[in-house]
Formats: sequence, structure tokens, C-alpha cells
Amino acid sequence: MRTKLITAAAAAALTVSLTACGAGSTGSEGSGGGDYPSEPLDWTIAFGPGGGNDIMARTMVDILQKEELYPENIEIQNREGGSGATGWGYLLGQSGSGYGVSTTSGSFITTPLQADTGWEPTDFTPVGLFATDDALLLVPGEGPIDTWEQWVEAAKAERLVVGGIGTVNVDFIVSAMLAEQAGYEVEYVPFNEEGQLQTALLSGAVDAMISNPGSILGQVEAGDMQPLISTAPERLDVLPDVPTAEELGFEGIPSMPRGLILPPDAPAEAQEWWIDTMKEVVETPEWQAYLDENYLSEDLRWGEDFTSYLTETQDRFEEILTEHGAL
Amino acid sequence: MDVFNDLGQGILAILTVQNVLLLGAGVLMGMVVGVMPGLGPSAGLAILLPITFTLDPTGAVVMLAAVYYGAMYGGTITSVLINTPGESATVASTFDGYPMAKQGRAGPALVMAAVASFVAGTIGAILISVAAPLTASVAASFGPPELFLVVILGLLTLIVIVGKNRLLGALSALIGFALATVGIDIGGGEQRYTFGSTELINGIDFIPVAIGLFGVGEVLHTLWRGGHLEKIGYFSVSARKRGFWPTKADRRESRGPMLRGSFLGFFVGTAPGAGATVASLMSYNLEKSISRKPERFGKGAMAGLVGPEAANNAASAGAMVPLLTLGIPGSASTAVLIGGFLMWGLQPGPLLMEQNPEFAWGLIASMYLGNVMLLLVNIFCIPVFASVARVPFRVLAPIILLVCIVGTFTVNGSIIEVGIMLACGVLGFFMRRYGFSPAALVIALVLGPLGEETLRQTMLISGGEFGIFLERGTSVALLSIMLVLVLVPLLTPRLRRFTASRLDALSRRRQERRDEAEASSERDRTSV
Repeated sequence: MRTKLITAAAAAALTVSLTACGAGSTGSEGSGGGDYPSEPLDWTIAFGPGGGNDIMARTMVDILQKEELYPENIEIQNREGGSGATGWGYLLGQSGSGYGVSTTSGSFITTPLQADTGWEPTDFTPVGLFATDDALLLVPGEGPIDTWEQWVEAAKAERLVVGGIGTVNVDFIVSAMLAEQAGYEVEYVPFNEEGQLQTALLSGAVDAMISNPGSILGQVEAGDMQPLISTAPERLDVLPDVPTAEELGFEGIPSMPRGLILPPDAPAEAQEWWIDTMKEVVETPEWQAYLDENYLSEDLRWGEDFTSYLTETQDRFEEILTEHGAL
Repeated sequence: MDVFNDLGQGILAILTVQNVLLLGAGVLMGMVVGVMPGLGPSAGLAILLPITFTLDPTGAVVMLAAVYYGAMYGGTITSVLINTPGESATVASTFDGYPMAKQGRAGPALVMAAVASFVAGTIGAILISVAAPLTASVAASFGPPELFLVVILGLLTLIVIVGKNRLLGALSALIGFALATVGIDIGGGEQRYTFGSTELINGIDFIPVAIGLFGVGEVLHTLWRGGHLEKIGYFSVSARKRGFWPTKADRRESRGPMLRGSFLGFFVGTAPGAGATVASLMSYNLEKSISRKPERFGKGAMAGLVGPEAANNAASAGAMVPLLTLGIPGSASTAVLIGGFLMWGLQPGPLLMEQNPEFAWGLIASMYLGNVMLLLVNIFCIPVFASVARVPFRVLAPIILLVCIVGTFTVNGSIIEVGIMLACGVLGFFMRRYGFSPAALVIALVLGPLGEETLRQTMLISGGEFGIFLERGTSVALLSIMLVLVLVPLLTPRLRRFTASRLDALSRRRQERRDEAEASSERDRTSV
């Protein structure tokens, strides 16, 4: 009797886990008639939970729901894989629909450069760019180098090593452009994970690293790392002493674009609806708090402005990467 | 002591009714997720992370810690019962766990694995409290050269796992290394062997390969040798029967491996990267090389299961050290946790422990309580799980296949990975059939990319000089450990033979002298 019960319980547990895992996605077909939005929204996050892209998407959905801006259900799915190729590929498959949405990041520009994804950033219907995630060049806290000038001097005198995430990535481009415009040469070492990159700097294996304020501010506050320069349009509130690249005379140093896109050929009324709605969203205190907490710089570009920004950035990336033999 | 005070208060602070319920729910949910092949702790955390955003930070952390341990143990359950590791850290648990289950000792295996996890969790929590600042400075000294050496330490276990069949073992590892080269080359950004497929640009994941090789491969192999026709002896799994609980000999055999595995696991776990996997493999290696009966390993030796189990659990405690003291994620799971920190409005970094002591100690305390809850839940659940071993193979086989397919698909929703998994199942069958080592392949696949990446980073940093390994303190220490690890098993038999022959010679000489003395005294006597 007892064993029967137990076996039944085991079977039940297995069934539950199977059905729980089987719950897949339901594609939303068809374009809106005259009354957009009238269908549930299928929101794709092209990366795993916990990353920068995931946090932004979930903050937006939170605001949309709290302010009751989207009248229907919003279904969020993390569709990670292939550095965003999987998630945005899914969005590509929703061509013509107004009910698929996704947020962008640096890989939105770089992944199509290095792989045959079947889409380009400009294929998608743009809603807008809201903010940029800026890059910092950091050195260890207790080192001889304290300022950007000292860094340039040291880099001209000896062979220095800079670490960053990936090769075909914003980090590499930032490092290469800074070096080129300041007239020094560095060795760039690509890493796959932020954790390994950070210990490489703390252990003295690399002389400097490229990172974002959100992932590194704790170390800076503790004095373990010292930022020398930022790619932000203006000095960051939390790092008032760190000069921006623009101040120091650098031009066109890119940041990671945080924006929103719809599937290719989405209906015009859907695009209009999203631009109007997001204009409201970025005004909310919750959104401003999100920008502050994650140290993002607000940079608003709507519709076609966003597309031309993407084209410009991608052209610049391609040029630099080709120049350095990374493509 | 101050730190124990902090830990005690952390434990008291989270012992509310709601948190205890969250703990229980977390462990159960974690186990259900972990029992699906392919879904390990990091997947479990990732799936359940969004749910916890509605909880307060402490409640969220309590639940996540419970999910983590539940999923980890879930992986052990499948490793032992159906030879399918849920993630790379439980590969070592299949080596002796599955043979034990085949011998009808699934109950003792699962109970001792849970006890080992609990002991390791306890030691880990104590070590975090006492040694966190010290280990943090060690963790911060791990750059690419040190990580490369840690990977090599892990690869050294291949020698032990392959055993006598060196050529086939080396071939198996080479297949693993070859599979590991697929994807974007981190050094140059080129695509290797992707044939234009975007699904492959991040490489071949360990999960479909391991599920195929171990799970499906084992099913095919059992079918081939007619396992579905065999009448299995209906061994008892009832908790009231004697055979379900570990024997005295089991307990005695486990004590040493458990303790060694816990300490080893904790310190290896502090290294970012492949901490838990390398720790469990190193523990297996260590136990086999110091065991008095190394021939029993791979055939169901208790030490070969509890050592790695303790090590992978202690490693997850070790991985918390860089997370809490440096704000650096040491593993896939802690990287998910960092995302959670940001969502809860906490700034990960070296100051986290100072600025949010209740949160940090709450996290450590919940990890500990997660272990306690796991042990409690398992005492009731193991009979359920162990009853899987009673199901006739002709019924079990299709279920395993289905679970393997669904599990693989769930991870990334990729049908290509399901294809890879099934292909690896066929490969696994032939590897078993002809004496190759699926374990060596999987280990090479997990550690290969990390080894390549860190070696290339090291060479970029040093400008191609190998001298960099001798210039850094931690790297020299690692090299010395490696030397000891290689020399000890080589020298032990020789040393033993040498001392034995010396003792032999000594006693022979003594005997001769005695004979001489007797002879001479006799001579004396006769001469008198």
C-alpha cells in the first residue's frame, strides 16, 4: 500500500515537472486592425535572466503594467542563445506582426557582423533608443596610475594589456579607438565572463579593463579599482571625477544601445502606439530610478532616428573591426 | 567568536514561518527541476529568479538557496539512478553512484550523498564565516594563468578515470576536445565548424552531449545486452527495510572522503570558472589514489560517490566567497544571483558585506538552512526516488528517453540540441561497446574551452612567454600541488615496494645473523 502511494507520488511529481517544462510559447499572429493593441504581447528577451538586457525589459514591463498602459496580457520569455541570434531571430519570424517586442543591446549590432544571422539591425521596426550603457576604462586601485594622462604615458612607454568581454564587441572597439586616437598601442585580451575579467585585473594579470558602471561600481567604491575615463555623454553623477572621452577630445566612442524594437514590417499604427507609449514610460519616476540605479545615460532617439543611429554605429564598428582583423 | 555570532543571528533572523515554508518549497521545486536531465542549479535559479522578485530580498535569497541545493541534489539523483548527470559538477557522481544503483544499493547511495552534501554544506558555512577574508585574497589572485592551471588539475583526473585503457581513453578525450572547438573562437572572433548555423556560434553545450552519452547511451547499451528481457531481482527500497539505510561499513568508509572532499571543494570552489566540476573530479582522483582498494572504484565504491558529492557542494559554498567579498561571480549560478542582487537594489562589490551585513549573513545562513532542509526532505523523498530502481527496464527505458528529449529541449528550446543529444546517444552506445570512456569525453568538453581560453589569454598577456607561470605566487603554488599530485601516485607503490623490500632485507639479514650466531655457537659447542 505504502509503496503504491509512493510510486503514485513519484509519477505525479514527474508529470507535474513535465507539464511545467512543456509550457511553450504561443505565437501571436496577424496585425492589428484599427484598434491596436487588442492582443496579448509576446515579449522576447534575447538573453538569460539577471543580465542587463533582462533587467531593462522587466523594468519596462513592470511600468507598462503598473501604469496600465498595455491593456492586454504581456508574456515575457527569455530566448537566449547565439549571443542574441536566437531571440532576435524569433522576432524576425514574427515579421509583419505588431505584437512581438524585444529590447536591444550591444550584441544587436555585433552579432550580425560575425555570424550569418539572417537579419540586420535595420531590418526591424524601430521604436526608440532610451539610454546607453557606458564603458569605463579601469586600472587597479593601488597602482602607480591614477589619471588618464598617466595611463597614456605608461602605455606609450611599455607594453600594457587591456582586458574586456569578447572580441567582436563594444569593449574591444572602445579600447582600440581610445588607443588609436591617443596614439598608443595596447594588447587586448578577450574574456568570456565578467567574473574572470575582474579577477584578472585584481590579480594583476592585466593592466586595465573595460567595463560598465553597473557591474564595477562596488569595486570602485571600495577603492579596489580606479576608473580613468568614461564613454558617457556627460560625467556620471556617481563618478563626478572621471572625465568623459568627449571632454578629452575623443570622437565617436560608442556605448551600448538600450532600445526597443518591433518585428520587421510591423504595422505603422503599432509603431506609432509604441513610440507614444514609451515617451510616457521614460517620463515615469520608476524609469528614472532604473536609470540611476543601473548608471545608464539617458539618450532618447525615436523611430527613424534610432535606425540611423544603429546604421552609423554598425558602420563604425565594422570599419574598426576590419581594420584590426577581427572580422 | 564574532563571526559565529553573525552567523547565528543570520540563522535566527531567517527562521520565520514564511521563510521555512519558502525553504521547503524551494528545495522541492529545485529537486523537481534538477531531476530533469539538463536542468541543473543555474537553470533552476534562472527559471525561478523572476518569481522571487515579488518577495523581499531575504525571502528571495532563502528561496533561491533552497532551489540551488535542491537542484544540485536533483542532479545527483539522476546521476545515481539513470546515469544522467544534470550538470557538469555531478558527472563524477555517476562513476560509482550508478554502479551502486545497479547493485540494488540506490538507497544507501542516495542517503550517503545527501549526508555528504549536508556535511559539506556545514563545513562550507563555517569556513565562509571564519576564512572568508583570507580566501577572498586568494580568489582575487586568480588570473588567467592560475585558471589555466586549475583546468589542468581537473584534466589530470582524466588519467585516473581512463584507468588501464589509455589509448581509447586518450581518444575519447580528444573527441571531447574536438567538439569543444566548435563555436566562436574567443581569441580571434572567427567561427569554427559552425557551418553557418547561428545555433552553433556559442559552441556545443555540455548538456545535450552528457545527456546523450550517459542517459541515452546507457539505455541503448542495456537494450543491446538484453537488459529489457532480464528479470530484475525485486530488491526492497522501503525505508523500513534494512537494505535501504547505509551500513556501518558505508558510514565508516565515507567519513574520510566526506571531510577531504569538503575542504578541497571549498578552496577549489573559490576559483572563478569551473570550480565545482574541477573540485568533484579532483576529489574522485584523490580518493582513488589514496584508497587501499582502488580497484573497487568505478564498480560502486562509496568513497567514489561521497567524496565528489561533498566536494561539489562545498564548492558552491566556496563560490560565495568571491561573490560576497569581492562582488565577483565565481560560477554560472552566482552570476544569476548577481543579477538578482541588482534587481533587489543591492550593489554587489567588496562593500556588500559591510553595507548590508544582514543580507550577506542571511544568504550564508540560508545556504546552511537549505542544506538542513534538503536532508530533512530527502529522508522522506529518497524512498520515492529510489523506487525508480524497481521499475522493469522495458518500462523505464522509454520514459528515460522521453525525459532526456524533453529535458534537452527545455534548456534552450533548441531542436538542434535535441539532435546533438540523440547523436551523442548513438556515439555513447558505441563508446561503451568498444571500451571508450564517455566520462573522459565529457570532461574534455567541459574543461577544454576554458583551458584554451585561459591559455590563450595567458599567452597574450605574457607575449608568448611560458615564464609567466613561474612569476606569479599563486601559480607557483598551483604548480607545486600539481607536481605532488602527479608524483604521489607514481611514487607510492615504489615507496611501498622499496620499504617493503628494505624491511624484507632487514628481517632476512636478522635471520641470517641469528642463523650465523646459532651456527657459531654450535661450532663453539662442538669445538669445546
